[in-house]
Amino acid sequence: MASAAAVAIGGVPRSAAAQPHAGGTLVYANISGPGTLDPYVSGSLVELEIIHHIYEGLVEMDEHYAWKPMLASKVEASPDAKTFTFTLRKGVKFSNGKEMTSADVLASFQRYQKLSTNASILADADGFDTPDPYTFVVRLKKPNAVFLDILKSPTYPLSIMPAEEKDKPAREADVIGTGPYTLGEWARDSHLVLNRNDGYVADTSAPGPDGFAGRKTAYLDHIRYNFVPEANARVAALQSGDANAASDIPPELSKRFADRKDLSLLKVFPYCQQVFVTNSQNGPTANPLIRQAIAAAVNVDEILDATGQIAQKNASLLYAFSPYYSPEVAKPYYDQHNPAKVKELLAKAGYKGEKIVLQTNSNYAYMRDAILVLNEQLKADGINSAVEVVDWTTNASNMQRGTGNWNVSTTGFCSQPLLGPQQWRVMVYTFPQVKGDAELDAAYTKFLTSPDVQDRKAAWQEIEHRVLDQAYMIKVADLGGLRGYDSKVQDMTAYFFPRYWNVWMK
Amino acid sequence: MRELRRLSLRFLNAVPVILLVAVLTFFLMHLLPGDPAVVIAGQDASPQAVARIRTQLGLDRPLPEQLLVWLANLARGNFGTSLALNQSVLAAVLDRLPVTLSLAAISLAITVPLGIGAGVIAGYKRNTWIDQSVMVIALLGVSLPGFWIAILSVILFSVQLKWLPSGGYVPLAQGAWPWFASLIQPAVVLALFQIGFLARMTRSAMLDVLDQDFIRAARARGVSEWSAVIKHAFRNTLIPVVTAAGIILSLLIGGSVIVEQVFALPGIGRLIVQAILARDYPLVQGTMLLLGFAFVAINLLLDIVYLLVDPRVRYE
Repeated sequence: MASAAAVAIGGVPRSAAAQPHAGGTLVYANISGPGTLDPYVSGSLVELEIIHHIYEGLVEMDEHYAWKPMLASKVEASPDAKTFTFTLRKGVKFSNGKEMTSADVLASFQRYQKLSTNASILADADGFDTPDPYTFVVRLKKPNAVFLDILKSPTYPLSIMPAEEKDKPAREADVIGTGPYTLGEWARDSHLVLNRNDGYVADTSAPGPDGFAGRKTAYLDHIRYNFVPEANARVAALQSGDANAASDIPPELSKRFADRKDLSLLKVFPYCQQVFVTNSQNGPTANPLIRQAIAAAVNVDEILDATGQIAQKNASLLYAFSPYYSPEVAKPYYDQHNPAKVKELLAKAGYKGEKIVLQTNSNYAYMRDAILVLNEQLKADGINSAVEVVDWTTNASNMQRGTGNWNVSTTGFCSQPLLGPQQWRVMVYTFPQVKGDAELDAAYTKFLTSPDVQDRKAAWQEIEHRVLDQAYMIKVADLGGLRGYDSKVQDMTAYFFPRYWNVWMK
Repeated sequence: MRELRRLSLRFLNAVPVILLVAVLTFFLMHLLPGDPAVVIAGQDASPQAVARIRTQLGLDRPLPEQLLVWLANLARGNFGTSLALNQSVLAAVLDRLPVTLSLAAISLAITVPLGIGAGVIAGYKRNTWIDQSVMVIALLGVSLPGFWIAILSVILFSVQLKWLPSGGYVPLAQGAWPWFASLIQPAVVLALFQIGFLARMTRSAMLDVLDQDFIRAARARGVSEWSAVIKHAFRNTLIPVVTAAGIILSLLIGGSVIVEQVFALPGIGRLIVQAILARDYPLVQGTMLLLGFAFVAINLLLDIVYLLVDPRVRYE
């Protein structure tokens, strides 16, 4: 754990009497670089954290990951949750100097529909209207009570770009947004520079920054992202003064910050959730009783001891700040380590020692270690399990496509627990290969169509109950992340994505 | 001239070999489990979105058809487009070539004099403490993991002493010193292994030659010891030593993966590793093909050097 070093939880504190001022270049050692900056097809964190400095959407997530207007000044939903009217902020400019109007919003939605990886979120769109330059209307064929929550997603963001980009193929749009920074030099595999957008039009109706929304102020002249894949090298860059900020510091390296008063660690918690995923379509784990037996064998404390992550136990697939958080539903399925129950479930399933393959990867140590411990726990309870280690690409492909001969695997889910049930929807079907589960389908339909939040909460309880009771997913723990900063960096706050607006250099 | 023509023929003869390498790489890459469409789409993508990307990239076509399309494009000089970088393979390789070539050149400039010098001294002073010391150091150089040495080096020279940058590449266009400073640390780390290897090769070649009659005869004729060792003995070790230096050059280009990773150098080694991890088929295939050409060129260069260092060598 990170106890050896000074760990700031809320954010890097401001030096006494210092006032924010413009100027300076912040050098940030990040794990790797983007493949594309086309928001509509960007799903990786390294791409998204740059994209959200350049682009903005009609709505964005706030500090607590709820939706909030950004390029819209007002959003109205019809009572039947089928029509959404966005009133646009006037005078917002793209980085090329052009004013944003509803024509740009329309073109962006159309481009998204045509080529985004996440285009399915607009599959139910009946049409878009632009009654005037500052009004944009989305009409849906079916009610969707969480449409705005879906729009706030930072993954494959529906950012607004100039209408001129409409017909550009995926990954080939010019990088022009309304955000506080613009793209400067980009040397692939080496570095990327963001320049302050001096023509940025901030949302002055907000008192200050709020997640990805609110009033953003760009102080830094430049942000230079250096792509440094090795964690040791990122820490060294920070220690030597070659970088002011470093991402993704493994807990075991936090000791290197211990005697450096000029460096601090920022803990981002919660960051991701670790979950075991079962393959509901392959061999023994096609039987729910076997999956339930595996869930009953899990001892979370032993796993956390072995992985050495910044972790906290939490039964739920959501966090306490979510309006849908219902820990009582998840508790019976969590951290059971109940050998008697395992035995009973195996007997009921008629288990005859068939091999259960636990697949993991060599790239992420915490995943591998968790699977190794699970293997011992299963064996101790009479399950014939075996570990198979592959590389991350194979592991991820197998989980997402159901290929390969595996029964249990593990991964980290990051944006889903932060953003809510609508974000979990693809995951709870894809990873465990769920097919033909009418109960789960009905619960999700109820969630999407219920205008009342209490009804949606009840629907989520049914979803979470189904996912955990069927042991499609077995929750391990909430995980945190560490980032490092030097003392020049001021007002950096903990958030899922590192944000450099409102951050300044001493 | 005749020799050169024969050498050119050798180069042409290598083309089918390179093509075989290309086809093998194609099948080996496609045999690897793991789907590039999943890497491109990301974790949050639905199975339908992944399937659409597979179709867009032509990955759902039969393998022989994909191979034929690739070979047809190659015949037109088109190495393909990287799936992950959205950049032509040739441009991706050419972008990174200066980094790896600079690294290899500096590393070779350190390796050759030190490796050969240490090997000659160890061979000449065989079975003395000098020989043993040189060989222990060489063994350490060969055995210590490059990754570990690289990290220790950064902690010492960048963090503690602050003499050199901790990573990153500065192009030569931005100044000779910044360029050199960005490469000297990784080049030395890379050279450590190669120096050990070359010293051991040179030492054993020296031992073979020093025992031969013509050295005894030279000494008997009253030739000075310096002349006996350098002019008579060392010159006769050049063929195996040049061979070793050639192998080293190949290793430097192909084997800079770890060093490029630790020092965050945007070179060919890092490009290939990322391409393999992302199952970026066109990039891996294209880079391997271009590296194949590079190795053939290095071998050709060695053949020319053999001609220069030993007039007895003839290519028939």
